[in-house]
Amino acid sequence: MISQIESIVKCAEQAGADEVEIFYVDGKVISIDIERDEISLAEKSIIRGVGIRASVDGAVGFSSTNDFTKVEEVIEHAVKYATIKSQDVSDWGGFPSNGKYPKVDGVFDKKLHDIGLDSCIDYAVKMIDGAKSVERAMPTSGNFVCSSSTRTIYNSNGIMVRESGTIIEGSIDSVARDGDISTASEFDISRSLDIDFYQIGFNASDLANRSLNGIRIESGEVPVLLRPTAFAEIIGHALVPSLDADNVQKGRSALCGRLSTAIASEELDIIDNGLLAKGVGTAMMDDEGTPSQKIDIIVNGMLETFLYDCYTAGKDARKSTGNGVRRSYSSAPAVGIRNMTIQYPPTDIISETSHGILINSVIGAHTANPVSGDFSVEARNAFTIRDGSICEPIKSLMLSGNVFELLKNIDGAGFDVRAVGNIITPTVRVSNQQVVG
Amino acid sequence: MDVELHDIKVLEASGTSIILDNGAIEEISANFSKRAGVRVLVDGSWGFTSTDDINAIDDALRSAIGLATQAHEKAPCTSFPITLTGPTNIRHISKVKKDPSDVPVEEKVQLLKDIEQQMKLPQIVSTNVYYSESEVHMLYTNSEGSECESKLTRCGFGITAVAKDEDLQMGFDSRFGVCGYEIFDRYDALSLANDVATAAVQLLSAKASPGGHLPVILDPKLAGVFIHEALGHAAEADLVLEGSSILKEEMGRQIASELISVHDDPTLPEFGYYPFDDEGVSPTRTTIIRDGVLNHYLHSRETAARLGFPKSGNARAQGCGIPIVRMSNTFIEEGDTSFDEMVEDIQYGIYLIGSRGGQTNPGEGVFQFNAEKGHLIENGSLTMPLRNVSLSGNTLEILKNVVAVGNDLKYHSGLCGKNGQLIPVSDGAPHIKISSAMVGGSV
Repeated sequence: MISQIESIVKCAEQAGADEVEIFYVDGKVISIDIERDEISLAEKSIIRGVGIRASVDGAVGFSSTNDFTKVEEVIEHAVKYATIKSQDVSDWGGFPSNGKYPKVDGVFDKKLHDIGLDSCIDYAVKMIDGAKSVERAMPTSGNFVCSSSTRTIYNSNGIMVRESGTIIEGSIDSVARDGDISTASEFDISRSLDIDFYQIGFNASDLANRSLNGIRIESGEVPVLLRPTAFAEIIGHALVPSLDADNVQKGRSALCGRLSTAIASEELDIIDNGLLAKGVGTAMMDDEGTPSQKIDIIVNGMLETFLYDCYTAGKDARKSTGNGVRRSYSSAPAVGIRNMTIQYPPTDIISETSHGILINSVIGAHTANPVSGDFSVEARNAFTIRDGSICEPIKSLMLSGNVFELLKNIDGAGFDVRAVGNIITPTVRVSNQQVVG
Repeated sequence: MDVELHDIKVLEASGTSIILDNGAIEEISANFSKRAGVRVLVDGSWGFTSTDDINAIDDALRSAIGLATQAHEKAPCTSFPITLTGPTNIRHISKVKKDPSDVPVEEKVQLLKDIEQQMKLPQIVSTNVYYSESEVHMLYTNSEGSECESKLTRCGFGITAVAKDEDLQMGFDSRFGVCGYEIFDRYDALSLANDVATAAVQLLSAKASPGGHLPVILDPKLAGVFIHEALGHAAEADLVLEGSSILKEEMGRQIASELISVHDDPTLPEFGYYPFDDEGVSPTRTTIIRDGVLNHYLHSRETAARLGFPKSGNARAQGCGIPIVRMSNTFIEEGDTSFDEMVEDIQYGIYLIGSRGGQTNPGEGVFQFNAEKGHLIENGSLTMPLRNVSLSGNTLEILKNVVAVGNDLKYHSGLCGKNGQLIPVSDGAPHIKISSAMVGGSV
């Protein structure tokens, strides 16, 4: 592929491109599927493909393929689309040109790159064993995934960068039965081989077991403690879209015009850190080749910045924050978070809560209104809290509100900081939250 | 050790998408791909290899046999008597009325701009129009001698409008089909755009929904999403086998009101259509519920063999992924009650319209959906418009509480996600009336 770069650039220039970008991915994935307490499938896939962007008169076109005999056709499409688009827009700020990259730690583990199927099966079996070790509970399904891939980004402004990364991930669902039935799931994800797979299985079953024979509760306003998984789901779907500069520029964010104003509890900080050691979203560059950075989004409750990729940065005549993220080589970059970290002074949050509700996870967060921040979710694996202790499980509970109200009403956080994918958060307590029982 | 079955799928696909954002072209992009997937069954264990190099199928086959054999030796899976049925030969090359690749990109862009113009109401601050087309050519062969080939074109569009006063509200609608550019003859995109914008503006003055247990009417779109999410997934036999479906012990039992019959039918010309499934099985209509009684699960070859049922042809995959049990076109059969009759005898209730999506836990039968909008029903008529109306509760309770089924079945297209794979489906339903359901809204 690298040998083709020169001919791609020449081809694009001949077709009329001012700038060209080549994004090339080469990787392999091993995955193991668990059904009940058995290994049902072993899978290996090889992934290799290229996305090409071309700019013409301040507009960008994109096209992609994994069929390298079609590269010329792909380039022509990218250039043609840029030409059509240039009639509408001309605020493109250019592909990045700063090729100085920071050093990041813990993104590639050679042991994971070289891992054999036998070890992968062993890890999957450990999750099953953990899940079976809890009385009344059994695993229902699960998944182990291990991937290793290399991204190469080249552009005609002088960027030529390549980085390899590995990810290992395990997840399992359990069901507990004793007349009543209850489910729970647990997962862990890392850049290196440091996951306790037995514990993932145990935690899923243990939570399912503890959730059996839930009670019903009254509707009303109560203090609610959101465990990292639950809080990350709500933040990811109801807050993150409002921080995307593209949504702000297009009037689709409730945070339009609210820079430098208080939007959250005074003690709350939110940072997006592409450099975080071992983070799932960590790399020396984003998917456009902009060097990764640490971005202060909310400091002491004040909104400091939105998140930018090259396109949105060009529109605001500023620099990208290193948040150009692609789903795969076949998608153009868009604004996305890297490692979003939520910080609040920690205390022994459960023992300090005289009454309230503890929610482990939620379902339906993706149905939140990304424009207004309104959400309505079903709480899963929820428990009552009385006099500083976790008490009865709650059968069914609907939680609804607005994420911006929620951010203002945060009045506590725990020590239990956890990475839920690329959102890193402790348990947070929201002083008064509407629940429907 | 014997290889009981292997199958090979080769896929060649191309697609174009255009996004018009606030009236200007945001993105035009094209993708071309080729990929192969090889699956092997060895004593109950599956091995699967997928690759971008379709010239290396022999290597992929060896790799898949190696994976299945190692998996079987290391952690043997309970073997099952897969039914070998002999070869199937199906060839389906879709005939579209207007091949989208014959329409110049410039013309498509102009059409999207015309659609966008229809949303220019005073309070609309932001618009988005999305168009996509794809053509997928698939070759399927297996060790039983099956040879199947299909070429399917899919086309569609989505429209979003955001309205603003002190607050922001959103309207959205979409139409997708297994068809060509004639999608725009089939649906009036211009008037749909106007409806979407009008809905967003009306939501600005809508009130938050009251919460509690109330009589509700679901519109066809929300009822379709409900039947897909809450019932359809629970009827997928892989979930039944795993023990994560509430329908596990319910076969032959009354699980819903007698008014309810539900089918899944891949042969209908809707967005979930396919001529053969991803295991080369010829698909048929499956009646999941007949007159309230659970009648059938949805099956792959494996789940059919394990549970001793006939195959239903419901194994589907995204691209060259591993086939899993999925729905196609799932719908509630039409009844005979008109919408007006449903509203008539409700003293105080809620009419829920459209869907912003939902999620369900098929193991416990708990679900949660958000309607796009709604109306309060007071003394037999629709009154105040409502926003952020959500519906949650227990699937079987809701199904038993159905007291009327409408005479106005409609299908809606969508994408369904399961195990990380997205596939095209459609949901169909008429209006349905439920005597009591838990509804809620924002404070």
